[in-house]
Amino acid sequence: MSVVHLHLLLNHIPTVGFSVGLALFVAALVGKSGDVTRAALAIFFLTAAVAILAYVSGSDARAAVSNTPGVSTALIDAHETAALIALAFMQATAFLSWLALWAWRRIGHVPVWNRAAILILAVVTFGLMVRAANLGGEIRHPEIRAVLDSVVPAADGVPGERLTAARSWGKYVEEHSWVWPTCEILHFVGLCLLFGAALVVDLRILGIAKQLPLAAVYQLLPLGLLGFTLNLVTGMAFFVATPQQYIGFLFLLKMGLVALAAINVLYFMLADEPWTAADGDDMPIGARLAAVSAILIWVGVLFCGRMLPALGNSF
Amino acid sequence: MHLLLRIEQSGICQWIRSTDSIFGYYGILTVHAIGMAIAVGINACIDLRILGFAPALPLAAMEQLFPLLWFGFWVNAASGSVLLATDATHKLVNPDFYVKMVFIALALGTVRLLRVHAFGDPQVDTGLVSTKARLLAVASLACWLGAIIAGRLLAYQAAM
Repeated sequence: MSVVHLHLLLNHIPTVGFSVGLALFVAALVGKSGDVTRAALAIFFLTAAVAILAYVSGSDARAAVSNTPGVSTALIDAHETAALIALAFMQATAFLSWLALWAWRRIGHVPVWNRAAILILAVVTFGLMVRAANLGGEIRHPEIRAVLDSVVPAADGVPGERLTAARSWGKYVEEHSWVWPTCEILHFVGLCLLFGAALVVDLRILGIAKQLPLAAVYQLLPLGLLGFTLNLVTGMAFFVATPQQYIGFLFLLKMGLVALAAINVLYFMLADEPWTAADGDDMPIGARLAAVSAILIWVGVLFCGRMLPALGNSF
Repeated sequence: MHLLLRIEQSGICQWIRSTDSIFGYYGILTVHAIGMAIAVGINACIDLRILGFAPALPLAAMEQLFPLLWFGFWVNAASGSVLLATDATHKLVNPDFYVKMVFIALALGTVRLLRVHAFGDPQVDTGLVSTKARLLAVASLACWLGAIIAGRLLAYQAAM
Protein backbone atom coordinates (compact mmCIF):
# COMPACT_ATOMS: atom_id res chain seq x y z
CA MET A 1 0.00 0.00 0.00
CA SER A 2 1.34 3.41 -0.91
CA VAL A 3 0.55 6.87 0.40
CA VAL A 4 -1.73 7.29 -2.62
CA HIS A 5 -3.85 4.35 -1.42
CA LEU A 6 -3.98 6.02 1.96
CA HIS A 7 -5.25 9.25 0.44
CA LEU A 8 -7.92 7.42 -1.56
CA LEU A 9 -8.97 5.54 1.56
CA LEU A 10 -8.94 8.40 4.06
CA ASN A 11 -10.45 11.07 1.81
CA HIS A 12 -13.93 9.65 2.47
CA ILE A 13 -13.69 9.96 6.22
CA PRO A 14 -13.96 13.77 6.59
CA THR A 15 -17.25 13.92 4.65
CA VAL A 16 -18.76 10.74 6.09
CA GLY A 17 -17.57 11.47 9.63
CA PHE A 18 -18.91 15.00 9.61
CA SER A 19 -22.28 13.96 8.20
CA VAL A 20 -22.68 11.38 10.99
CA GLY A 21 -21.43 13.85 13.61
CA LEU A 22 -23.70 16.61 12.36
CA ALA A 23 -26.76 14.31 12.31
CA LEU A 24 -26.05 13.21 15.88
CA PHE A 25 -25.39 16.77 17.03
CA VAL A 26 -28.72 18.04 15.63
CA ALA A 27 -30.54 15.00 17.04
CA ALA A 28 -29.00 15.71 20.44
CA LEU A 29 -30.06 19.36 20.29
CA VAL A 30 -33.63 18.33 19.49
CA GLY A 31 -33.75 15.44 21.95
CA LYS A 32 -31.73 17.31 24.60
CA SER A 33 -29.45 14.33 25.16
CA GLY A 34 -26.10 14.95 26.84
CA ASP A 35 -24.66 11.58 25.88
CA VAL A 36 -25.53 11.96 22.20
CA THR A 37 -24.05 15.48 22.24
CA ARG A 38 -20.78 14.10 23.59
CA ALA A 39 -20.79 11.34 20.98
CA ALA A 40 -21.22 13.94 18.23
CA LEU A 41 -18.43 16.10 19.68
CA ALA A 42 -16.12 13.09 19.87
CA ILE A 43 -16.86 12.26 16.21
CA PHE A 44 -16.12 15.86 15.14
CA PHE A 45 -12.83 15.75 17.03
CA LEU A 46 -11.70 12.37 15.68
CA THR A 47 -12.79 13.14 12.12
CA ALA A 48 -10.76 16.34 12.18
CA ALA A 49 -7.66 14.40 13.32
CA VAL A 50 -8.03 11.90 10.46
CA ALA A 51 -8.65 14.81 8.06
CA ILE A 52 -5.10 16.06 8.75
CA LEU A 53 -3.78 12.72 7.51
CA ALA A 54 -6.11 12.86 4.51
CA TYR A 55 -4.88 16.36 3.62
CA VAL A 56 -1.14 15.70 3.94
CA SER A 57 -1.34 12.44 1.97
CA GLY A 58 -2.78 14.50 -0.89
CA SER A 59 0.58 15.75 -2.14
CA ASP A 60 1.70 12.17 -2.90
CA ALA A 61 -1.59 11.59 -4.71
CA ARG A 62 -0.98 14.75 -6.75
CA ALA A 63 2.51 13.60 -7.69
CA ALA A 64 1.10 10.22 -8.74
CA VAL A 65 -1.50 11.54 -11.18
CA SER A 66 -0.19 14.92 -12.30
CA ASN A 67 1.38 13.52 -15.49
CA THR A 68 -1.51 11.23 -16.35
CA PRO A 69 -3.28 12.15 -19.60
CA GLY A 70 -6.75 13.53 -19.02
CA VAL A 71 -5.92 14.76 -15.52
CA SER A 72 -6.37 18.48 -15.16
CA THR A 73 -3.79 20.28 -13.03
CA ALA A 74 -6.23 23.14 -12.60
CA LEU A 75 -8.75 20.71 -11.15
CA ILE A 76 -6.18 19.33 -8.70
CA ASP A 77 -5.36 22.93 -7.71
CA ALA A 78 -9.04 23.67 -7.17
CA HIS A 79 -9.41 20.50 -5.10
CA GLU A 80 -6.36 21.37 -2.99
CA THR A 81 -7.59 24.90 -2.26
CA ALA A 82 -11.11 23.67 -1.42
CA ALA A 83 -9.64 20.98 0.85
CA LEU A 84 -7.43 23.50 2.65
CA ILE A 85 -10.36 25.82 3.38
CA ALA A 86 -12.55 22.90 4.50
CA LEU A 87 -9.73 21.59 6.70
CA ALA A 88 -9.34 24.97 8.42
CA PHE A 89 -13.04 25.11 9.27
CA MET A 90 -12.99 21.49 10.37
CA GLN A 91 -10.12 22.12 12.77
CA ALA A 92 -11.96 25.13 14.20
CA THR A 93 -15.01 22.90 14.77
CA ALA A 94 -12.83 20.29 16.45
CA PHE A 95 -11.21 22.94 18.66
CA LEU A 96 -14.62 24.07 19.92
CA SER A 97 -15.78 20.45 20.23
CA TRP A 98 -12.86 19.70 22.52
CA LEU A 99 -13.64 22.79 24.59
CA ALA A 100 -17.27 21.66 24.84
CA LEU A 101 -16.23 18.18 26.02
CA TRP A 102 -13.91 19.77 28.54
CA ALA A 103 -16.58 22.18 29.80
CA TRP A 104 -19.07 19.33 30.11
CA ARG A 105 -17.06 17.62 32.85
CA ARG A 106 -15.92 20.88 34.43
CA ILE A 107 -19.27 22.68 34.73
CA GLY A 108 -21.74 19.90 33.92
CA HIS A 109 -23.06 21.29 30.64
CA VAL A 110 -21.92 22.80 27.35
CA PRO A 111 -22.41 26.60 27.25
CA VAL A 112 -25.00 27.80 24.73
CA TRP A 113 -22.49 29.96 22.79
CA ASN A 114 -20.24 26.95 22.43
CA ARG A 115 -23.03 24.75 21.09
CA ALA A 116 -24.23 27.45 18.70
CA ALA A 117 -20.71 28.06 17.37
CA ILE A 118 -20.16 24.33 16.84
CA LEU A 119 -23.46 23.96 14.99
CA ILE A 120 -22.72 26.87 12.63
CA LEU A 121 -19.11 25.82 12.02
CA ALA A 122 -20.06 22.16 11.51
CA VAL A 123 -22.71 23.05 8.91
CA VAL A 124 -20.30 25.34 7.05
CA THR A 125 -17.51 22.73 7.28
CA PHE A 126 -19.80 20.02 5.94
CA GLY A 127 -20.69 22.15 2.92
CA LEU A 128 -17.05 23.04 2.26
CA MET A 129 -15.95 19.43 2.68
CA VAL A 130 -18.60 18.14 0.25
CA ARG A 131 -17.33 20.67 -2.28
CA ALA A 132 -13.70 19.61 -1.73
CA ALA A 133 -14.62 15.93 -1.99
CA ASN A 134 -16.63 16.52 -5.15
CA LEU A 135 -13.76 18.40 -6.81
CA GLY A 136 -11.41 15.60 -5.75
CA GLY A 137 -13.69 13.00 -7.28
CA GLU A 138 -13.85 14.86 -10.56
CA ILE A 139 -10.06 14.56 -10.97
CA ARG A 140 -10.33 10.90 -12.00
CA HIS A 141 -14.06 10.68 -12.74
CA PRO A 142 -14.82 12.65 -15.92
CA GLU A 143 -18.36 11.24 -15.84
CA ILE A 144 -19.26 13.54 -12.92
CA ARG A 145 -17.57 16.63 -14.34
CA ALA A 146 -20.89 18.28 -15.18
CA VAL A 147 -19.95 21.71 -13.89
CA LEU A 148 -16.24 21.61 -14.56
CA ASP A 149 -16.09 24.79 -16.57
CA SER A 150 -17.99 26.86 -14.08
CA VAL A 151 -15.94 25.63 -11.13
CA VAL A 152 -12.57 25.83 -12.83
CA PRO A 153 -12.68 28.60 -15.40
CA ALA A 154 -9.03 28.39 -16.45
CA ALA A 155 -8.78 24.63 -16.91
CA ASP A 156 -5.21 23.87 -17.92
CA GLY A 157 -4.50 27.46 -18.92
CA VAL A 158 -1.02 28.92 -18.90
CA PRO A 159 0.78 27.17 -16.02
CA GLY A 160 1.83 29.43 -13.19
CA GLU A 161 -0.34 32.27 -14.34
CA ARG A 162 -2.63 32.12 -11.35
CA LEU A 163 -1.23 30.86 -8.05
CA THR A 164 -3.35 28.76 -5.73
CA ALA A 165 -3.75 29.90 -2.13
CA ALA A 166 -1.25 27.26 -1.04
CA ARG A 167 1.34 28.26 -3.65
CA SER A 168 1.05 31.96 -2.92
CA TRP A 169 1.71 31.14 0.75
CA GLY A 170 4.70 29.06 -0.34
CA LYS A 171 5.98 31.98 -2.39
CA TYR A 172 5.47 34.37 0.52
CA VAL A 173 7.47 32.11 2.85
CA GLU A 174 10.23 31.79 0.26
CA GLU A 175 10.47 35.55 -0.19
CA HIS A 176 10.31 36.47 3.50
CA SER A 177 13.12 34.75 5.38
CA TRP A 178 11.71 35.64 8.81
CA VAL A 179 8.52 33.57 8.41
CA TRP A 180 10.03 30.08 8.65
CA PRO A 181 12.17 30.66 11.78
CA THR A 182 9.28 32.49 13.45
CA CYS A 183 6.94 29.56 12.84
CA GLU A 184 9.65 27.17 14.10
CA ILE A 185 10.00 29.17 17.32
CA LEU A 186 6.22 29.10 17.84
CA HIS A 187 6.22 25.38 17.03
CA PHE A 188 8.74 24.81 19.83
CA VAL A 189 6.79 27.00 22.27
CA GLY A 190 3.65 25.03 21.40
CA LEU A 191 5.35 21.69 21.96
CA CYS A 192 6.55 22.81 25.39
CA LEU A 193 3.02 23.83 26.42
CA LEU A 194 1.47 20.63 25.05
CA PHE A 195 4.12 18.34 26.49
CA GLY A 196 4.25 20.13 29.85
CA ALA A 197 0.49 20.00 30.43
CA ALA A 198 0.26 16.38 29.20
CA LEU A 199 3.17 15.34 31.41
CA VAL A 200 1.67 16.81 34.59
CA VAL A 201 -1.70 15.14 33.92
CA ASP A 202 -0.23 11.78 32.89
CA LEU A 203 2.31 11.61 35.72
CA ARG A 204 -0.39 12.53 38.24
CA ILE A 205 -2.48 9.62 36.94
CA LEU A 206 0.57 7.36 37.18
CA GLY A 207 0.89 8.23 40.85
CA ILE A 208 3.55 10.97 40.87
CA ALA A 209 2.67 14.21 42.70
CA LYS A 210 -0.39 12.61 44.32
CA GLN A 211 -1.08 15.76 46.34
CA LEU A 212 -2.32 17.40 43.17
CA PRO A 213 -6.13 16.97 43.14
CA LEU A 214 -7.42 15.38 39.92
CA ALA A 215 -10.10 18.04 39.46
CA ALA A 216 -7.39 20.71 39.63
CA VAL A 217 -5.11 18.90 37.20
CA TYR A 218 -8.10 18.77 34.82
CA GLN A 219 -7.93 22.58 34.64
CA LEU A 220 -4.49 22.31 33.03
CA LEU A 221 -5.83 20.48 29.96
CA PRO A 222 -6.73 23.62 27.93
CA LEU A 223 -3.04 24.53 28.08
CA GLY A 224 -2.38 21.34 26.13
CA LEU A 225 -5.05 22.30 23.62
CA LEU A 226 -3.47 25.73 23.24
CA GLY A 227 -0.07 24.15 22.59
CA PHE A 228 -1.52 21.70 20.10
CA THR A 229 -3.43 24.43 18.25
CA LEU A 230 -0.27 26.53 17.99
CA ASN A 231 1.55 23.54 16.53
CA LEU A 232 -1.24 22.57 14.18
CA VAL A 233 -1.32 26.10 12.73
CA THR A 234 2.45 26.47 12.43
CA GLY A 235 2.83 22.86 11.26
CA MET A 236 0.29 23.41 8.50
CA ALA A 237 2.11 26.64 7.62
CA PHE A 238 5.25 24.54 7.01
CA PHE A 239 3.44 21.85 5.08
CA VAL A 240 1.39 24.14 2.86
CA ALA A 241 4.47 26.23 2.04
CA THR A 242 6.72 23.31 1.07
CA PRO A 243 4.73 20.06 0.72
CA GLN A 244 7.58 18.49 -1.26
CA GLN A 245 9.65 18.42 1.97
CA TYR A 246 7.13 16.17 3.70
CA ILE A 247 6.91 13.25 1.34
CA GLY A 248 7.99 10.00 2.92
CA PHE A 249 7.27 7.56 5.70
CA LEU A 250 8.52 9.53 8.69
CA PHE A 251 6.19 12.50 8.29
CA LEU A 252 3.24 10.22 7.65
CA LEU A 253 4.14 8.30 10.80
CA LYS A 254 4.17 11.59 12.71
CA MET A 255 0.69 12.49 11.45
CA GLY A 256 -0.49 8.92 12.16
CA LEU A 257 0.74 9.31 15.75
CA VAL A 258 -1.13 12.62 15.99
CA ALA A 259 -4.33 10.80 14.96
CA LEU A 260 -3.54 8.15 17.58
CA ALA A 261 -3.04 10.93 20.12
CA ALA A 262 -6.52 12.21 19.28
CA ILE A 263 -7.98 8.81 20.26
CA ASN A 264 -5.94 8.95 23.46
CA VAL A 265 -7.20 12.46 24.22
CA LEU A 266 -10.78 11.31 23.63
CA TYR A 267 -10.33 8.61 26.28
CA PHE A 268 -9.44 11.29 28.81
CA MET A 269 -12.35 13.49 27.68
CA LEU A 270 -15.01 10.74 27.68
CA ALA A 271 -14.00 8.18 30.32
CA ASP A 272 -14.96 8.85 33.92
CA GLU A 273 -12.43 6.58 35.60
CA PRO A 274 -9.36 8.87 35.37
CA TRP A 275 -11.24 11.68 37.09
CA THR A 276 -13.42 9.92 39.66
CA ALA A 277 -10.78 8.08 41.68
CA ALA A 278 -10.61 9.55 45.16
CA ASP A 279 -7.43 11.58 45.70
CA GLY A 280 -4.77 9.34 47.14
CA ASP A 281 -6.37 6.19 45.69
CA ASP A 282 -4.61 4.17 43.04
CA MET A 283 -5.74 4.70 39.49
CA PRO A 284 -7.54 1.99 37.51
CA ILE A 285 -5.34 0.12 35.06
CA GLY A 286 -7.13 1.60 32.02
CA ALA A 287 -6.26 5.13 33.09
CA ARG A 288 -2.64 4.15 33.73
CA LEU A 289 -2.30 2.55 30.33
CA ALA A 290 -3.80 5.62 28.68
CA ALA A 291 -1.36 7.86 30.57
CA VAL A 292 1.65 5.75 29.58
CA SER A 293 0.54 5.62 25.96
CA ALA A 294 -0.04 9.38 25.93
CA ILE A 295 3.57 9.99 26.98
CA LEU A 296 4.88 7.45 24.45
CA ILE A 297 2.77 8.88 21.62
CA TRP A 298 3.88 12.46 22.22
CA VAL A 299 7.54 11.41 22.56
CA GLY A 300 7.04 9.56 19.25
CA VAL A 301 5.58 12.66 17.60
CA LEU A 302 8.52 14.70 18.86
CA PHE A 303 11.00 12.07 17.69
CA CYS A 304 9.51 11.92 14.18
CA GLY A 305 9.42 15.70 13.94
CA ARG A 306 12.98 16.16 15.12
CA MET A 307 14.28 13.40 12.82
CA LEU A 308 12.64 14.92 9.71
CA PRO A 309 15.66 17.07 8.73
CA ALA A 310 17.82 13.93 8.91
CA LEU A 311 16.13 12.84 5.70
CA GLY A 312 18.28 15.41 3.96
CA ASN A 313 15.63 18.00 3.17
CA SER A 314 16.25 21.67 3.69
CA PHE A 315 14.38 22.53 6.86
CA MET B 1 41.05 27.24 19.29
CA HIS B 2 43.44 24.30 18.96
CA LEU B 3 41.75 22.39 21.79
CA LEU B 4 38.27 23.09 20.41
CA LEU B 5 39.29 21.82 17.02
CA ARG B 6 40.70 18.66 18.59
CA ILE B 7 37.43 18.04 20.44
CA GLU B 8 35.44 18.68 17.31
CA GLN B 9 37.63 16.39 15.21
CA SER B 10 37.74 13.60 17.78
CA GLY B 11 36.53 10.18 16.68
CA ILE B 12 33.35 10.26 18.70
CA CYS B 13 32.32 13.71 17.43
CA GLN B 14 33.03 12.72 13.84
CA TRP B 15 30.93 9.60 14.32
CA ILE B 16 28.04 11.61 15.81
CA ARG B 17 28.06 13.99 12.85
CA SER B 18 28.29 11.36 10.14
CA THR B 19 26.35 8.32 11.38
CA ASP B 20 22.87 7.40 10.25
CA SER B 21 22.23 5.73 13.60
CA ILE B 22 19.47 7.17 15.79
CA PHE B 23 22.17 7.71 18.43
CA GLY B 24 23.82 10.23 16.12
CA TYR B 25 23.32 13.95 15.74
CA TYR B 26 19.56 14.01 15.19
CA GLY B 27 18.94 11.44 17.89
CA ILE B 28 20.76 13.67 20.37
CA LEU B 29 18.79 16.66 19.04
CA THR B 30 15.60 14.70 19.75
CA VAL B 31 16.72 14.05 23.33
CA HIS B 32 17.52 17.77 23.59
CA ALA B 33 14.00 18.65 22.40
CA ILE B 34 12.39 16.23 24.89
CA GLY B 35 14.49 17.63 27.74
CA MET B 36 13.40 21.13 26.72
CA ALA B 37 9.75 20.07 26.59
CA ILE B 38 10.01 18.64 30.12
CA ALA B 39 11.90 21.54 31.72
CA VAL B 40 10.17 24.41 29.95
CA GLY B 41 6.77 22.70 29.89
CA ILE B 42 6.75 21.98 33.63
CA ASN B 43 8.12 25.43 34.41
CA ALA B 44 5.45 27.05 32.21
CA CYS B 45 2.72 25.13 34.06
CA ILE B 46 4.06 26.43 37.38
CA ASP B 47 4.45 30.00 36.06
CA LEU B 48 0.96 30.08 34.58
CA ARG B 49 -0.52 28.70 37.82
CA ILE B 50 1.16 31.54 39.71
CA LEU B 51 -0.35 33.96 37.18
CA GLY B 52 -3.85 32.63 37.89
CA PHE B 53 -4.36 29.86 35.33
CA ALA B 54 -5.91 26.63 36.72
CA PRO B 55 -6.56 28.29 40.10
CA ALA B 56 -7.73 25.07 41.78
CA LEU B 57 -4.19 23.64 41.60
CA PRO B 58 -2.57 23.91 45.05
CA LEU B 59 0.75 25.67 44.54
CA ALA B 60 2.28 23.92 47.53
CA ALA B 61 1.69 20.54 45.88
CA MET B 62 3.19 21.76 42.62
CA GLU B 63 6.53 21.93 44.39
CA GLN B 64 6.66 18.16 43.79
CA LEU B 65 7.15 18.91 40.10
CA PHE B 66 10.52 20.63 40.60
CA PRO B 67 12.61 17.42 40.49
CA LEU B 68 11.07 16.70 37.08
CA LEU B 69 11.98 20.20 35.89
CA TRP B 70 15.57 19.64 36.99
CA PHE B 71 15.59 16.22 35.35
CA GLY B 72 14.69 17.90 32.05
CA PHE B 73 17.39 20.49 32.64
CA TRP B 74 20.14 17.92 33.30
CA VAL B 75 19.12 15.86 30.28
CA ASN B 76 19.64 19.00 28.25
CA ALA B 77 22.85 20.01 29.95
CA ALA B 78 24.24 16.60 28.96
CA SER B 79 22.79 16.41 25.43
CA GLY B 80 23.63 20.08 24.85
CA SER B 81 27.26 19.51 25.85
CA VAL B 82 27.57 16.73 23.28
CA LEU B 83 25.96 18.89 20.59
CA LEU B 84 28.31 21.71 21.50
CA ALA B 85 31.36 19.43 21.28
CA THR B 86 30.45 18.41 17.72
CA ASP B 87 30.48 22.02 16.56
CA ALA B 88 32.61 23.76 19.20
CA THR B 89 34.64 25.97 16.88
CA HIS B 90 31.51 27.60 15.43
CA LYS B 91 29.20 27.68 18.46
CA LEU B 92 31.75 29.14 20.87
CA VAL B 93 32.48 32.14 18.66
CA ASN B 94 28.79 32.78 17.99
CA PRO B 95 27.32 35.53 20.21
CA ASP B 96 23.89 33.93 19.82
CA PHE B 97 25.15 30.86 21.71
CA TYR B 98 26.07 33.04 24.71
CA VAL B 99 22.71 34.84 24.52
CA LYS B 100 21.04 31.43 24.85
CA MET B 101 23.25 30.49 27.82
CA VAL B 102 22.49 33.79 29.59
CA PHE B 103 18.73 33.29 29.11
CA ILE B 104 18.97 29.76 30.52
CA ALA B 105 21.04 30.97 33.49
CA LEU B 106 18.49 33.72 34.16
CA ALA B 107 15.59 31.25 33.85
CA LEU B 108 17.21 28.87 36.33
CA GLY B 109 17.98 31.76 38.70
CA THR B 110 14.30 32.72 38.49
CA VAL B 111 13.30 29.17 39.42
CA ARG B 112 15.42 29.45 42.58
CA LEU B 113 13.88 32.82 43.43
CA LEU B 114 10.38 31.46 42.80
CA ARG B 115 11.00 28.67 45.27
CA VAL B 116 11.89 31.21 47.91
CA HIS B 117 9.29 33.88 47.17
CA ALA B 118 6.29 31.83 46.00
CA PHE B 119 6.72 28.36 47.45
CA GLY B 120 8.61 29.46 50.55
CA ASP B 121 5.74 31.78 51.49
CA PRO B 122 3.73 30.23 54.34
CA GLN B 123 0.72 32.09 52.92
CA VAL B 124 0.94 30.08 49.70
CA ASP B 125 -2.55 28.88 48.65
CA THR B 126 -4.27 30.88 51.41
CA GLY B 127 -4.05 34.42 50.14
CA LEU B 128 -3.37 36.02 46.81
CA VAL B 129 -0.07 35.30 45.10
CA SER B 130 2.31 38.18 45.79
CA THR B 131 3.20 40.69 43.09
CA LYS B 132 6.81 39.65 43.41
CA ALA B 133 5.94 36.04 42.64
CA ARG B 134 3.87 37.15 39.65
CA LEU B 135 6.72 39.23 38.27
CA LEU B 136 9.09 36.30 38.72
CA ALA B 137 6.64 34.04 36.85
CA VAL B 138 6.50 36.51 33.95
CA ALA B 139 10.31 36.78 33.99
CA SER B 140 10.60 32.99 33.95
CA LEU B 141 8.31 32.67 30.90
CA ALA B 142 10.18 35.49 29.14
CA CYS B 143 13.60 33.91 29.81
CA TRP B 144 12.55 30.50 28.50
CA LEU B 145 11.04 32.15 25.44
CA GLY B 146 14.32 34.00 24.93
CA ALA B 147 16.28 30.75 25.29
CA ILE B 148 14.03 29.01 22.74
CA ILE B 149 14.36 31.89 20.26
CA ALA B 150 18.15 32.03 20.62
CA GLY B 151 18.37 28.23 20.39
CA ARG B 152 16.23 28.04 17.26
CA LEU B 153 18.21 30.82 15.57
CA LEU B 154 21.42 28.94 16.34
CA ALA B 155 20.24 26.22 13.95
CA TYR B 156 19.96 28.67 11.05
CA GLN B 157 23.41 30.14 11.67
CA ALA B 158 24.99 26.69 11.69
CA ALA B 159 23.73 26.19 8.15
CA MET B 160 25.50 29.31 6.91
